[in-house]
Amino acid sequence: MLPVSQPLRSLTLRKFLRRVEPGFYIAPSFLVMTIILVYPLAYSLWLSFHRWTLRTFKQGIPFIGLENYQQLFSSPEFWNSLRITFTFVFLAVAIEFVLGMGLALLLNHDLKAKGLIRSLILLPMMCTNVVIGLTWRLLFNYEFGIVNYYLNQLGFASVEWLSSPKIALWSVIVVDVWNTTSFVALMLLAGLQSLPEEPFEAARIDGANSIQTFFYLTLPLLRQTILVALLWRLIDTFRIFDVVYLLTAGGPARATETVSIYIYRYGFQSFNLGFASAASYVMILIMLAIAALMARAIGRAETVY
Amino acid sequence: MSPYRLLRYLTRIGIYVLVMLAVILSLAPLVYLFITSFKDPNLTFTLPPVWVFEPTLQNYREVLAGGQFEKYFLNSLVVALSTTAIALLLGGLAAYGFSRFRFRGAFWLRMSALVPQMLPPITIIVPLYVLFNGLRLLDTRWALIISYLTFTIPLALWMMIGFFDDVPVELEEAAMIDGCTRLGALVRISLPLVAPGLAATAILAFLYCWNEFLYAVILTGREARTLPVTITSFMTNRAILWGRIAASGSMVLVPVLAFALLAQRYLVRGLSRGAIK
Repeated sequence: MLPVSQPLRSLTLRKFLRRVEPGFYIAPSFLVMTIILVYPLAYSLWLSFHRWTLRTFKQGIPFIGLENYQQLFSSPEFWNSLRITFTFVFLAVAIEFVLGMGLALLLNHDLKAKGLIRSLILLPMMCTNVVIGLTWRLLFNYEFGIVNYYLNQLGFASVEWLSSPKIALWSVIVVDVWNTTSFVALMLLAGLQSLPEEPFEAARIDGANSIQTFFYLTLPLLRQTILVALLWRLIDTFRIFDVVYLLTAGGPARATETVSIYIYRYGFQSFNLGFASAASYVMILIMLAIAALMARAIGRAETVY
Repeated sequence: MSPYRLLRYLTRIGIYVLVMLAVILSLAPLVYLFITSFKDPNLTFTLPPVWVFEPTLQNYREVLAGGQFEKYFLNSLVVALSTTAIALLLGGLAAYGFSRFRFRGAFWLRMSALVPQMLPPITIIVPLYVLFNGLRLLDTRWALIISYLTFTIPLALWMMIGFFDDVPVELEEAAMIDGCTRLGALVRISLPLVAPGLAATAILAFLYCWNEFLYAVILTGREARTLPVTITSFMTNRAILWGRIAASGSMVLVPVLAFALLAQRYLVRGLSRGAIK
């Protein structure tokens, strides 16, 4: 008996060890991420059904059911912040995509000092957002900013970049476009450079002009890259906080108050954390919906090829 | 010159002009900030703007006076370095696991590591604030290190998967046949080969921590404050001290620019969370 069962046992043990081996590498990081993410998220869900304000939390945190959510959905300011967030995300990402595509097509030519150009245009994306927000606030200053000064020199009237409720959102969009267009461009450029050459040669032989080639060949072939680039831009623009906070702080008259700033105001200026948690959860759900939609689109694009 | 060649020549010039325009537009605000930081504070708002002036270090001196800036600089450095080291160790190990083993649920596990990168920071900071308040960790470097791990671990994980995939499995297998354990093969064979990738990932993780503002402004006070929060402290109730903001902002940007140029080959890969190689 013994000589037979001995190798068998060690075989199953080895098999077991081999099965759990990936766990040895993967488990630590997922354990840490679970502790530092799942616990806060669960806590925040719990908090969203309770009342936690700076004045009352020492006396206890009472369960109030859906009151926070009811209050949230009946708040015109919340709907306003949703509307502003979506307007901002949609316009900014659309402009970044069009400009980024143009820049990618330009950079796809055989240029001198390619590496240098790429790293220089990517610098805005790497910069500290606080510095970006404040620098543009200085540039956009109505009386003393150099943007208005040079506009005047060119014969245009001064623009109330940050102080007019009608224009402020556009200024935030300008800064975001300045900040991230090069990233979209370089992502699309990487996609462009990985495209096969044969279809383009065939199109040239068939006499297609460059506009036809772009719309019927480049764009469809690039779909995968475009979707991934758009996905990350959508998510990052949706989450934006610091640039807007330092540029306009959500003003004037809440014209640039995105959901993040709305939550910040309720959470850390009025310290109504239960309410802020409820708003956070709505934001998380919207974000998950966007991500799921885009992930499905990417999955579908993958099956095409 | 034939008209066709002339047209091609002109197109080429046009392309260079447009690309140069993009470069100039990208750099102009940063250059303006640097220039402002060397201006006498009285000249910040003179119109028409002065471009030729006697450079002064006055703004820098004012920022550095009192020794607070050095302290917050040290905070930024310690927090960013510690977070990067932990994230690289944990994320790198996990990336190795994903790159070398095929197992059920690997795909979804890997995908789930993207969720923390999608979550709006403002939604996590509310519970983290209450949590750290309860643990008496508010205004400590630990609070920042722990919360920065939420985005640096997934970053390291996703970037390093790509770099490990680039190392041929055969090299490790050969080492293991020669008697190396898998961990030994990882340390002796693969690690030196992914070293550039590891460096790029470290730089990116460092920059994300270095630049972070929201967590820092909420979780820290006078003690553990980092540089981005320090910059905003020059916006006082009475006035915005633009000269000091420009000087401190420039100092914060110097390592950013240096690192960004150093790691430029891998930046797009990192910024797209490994989606682009």
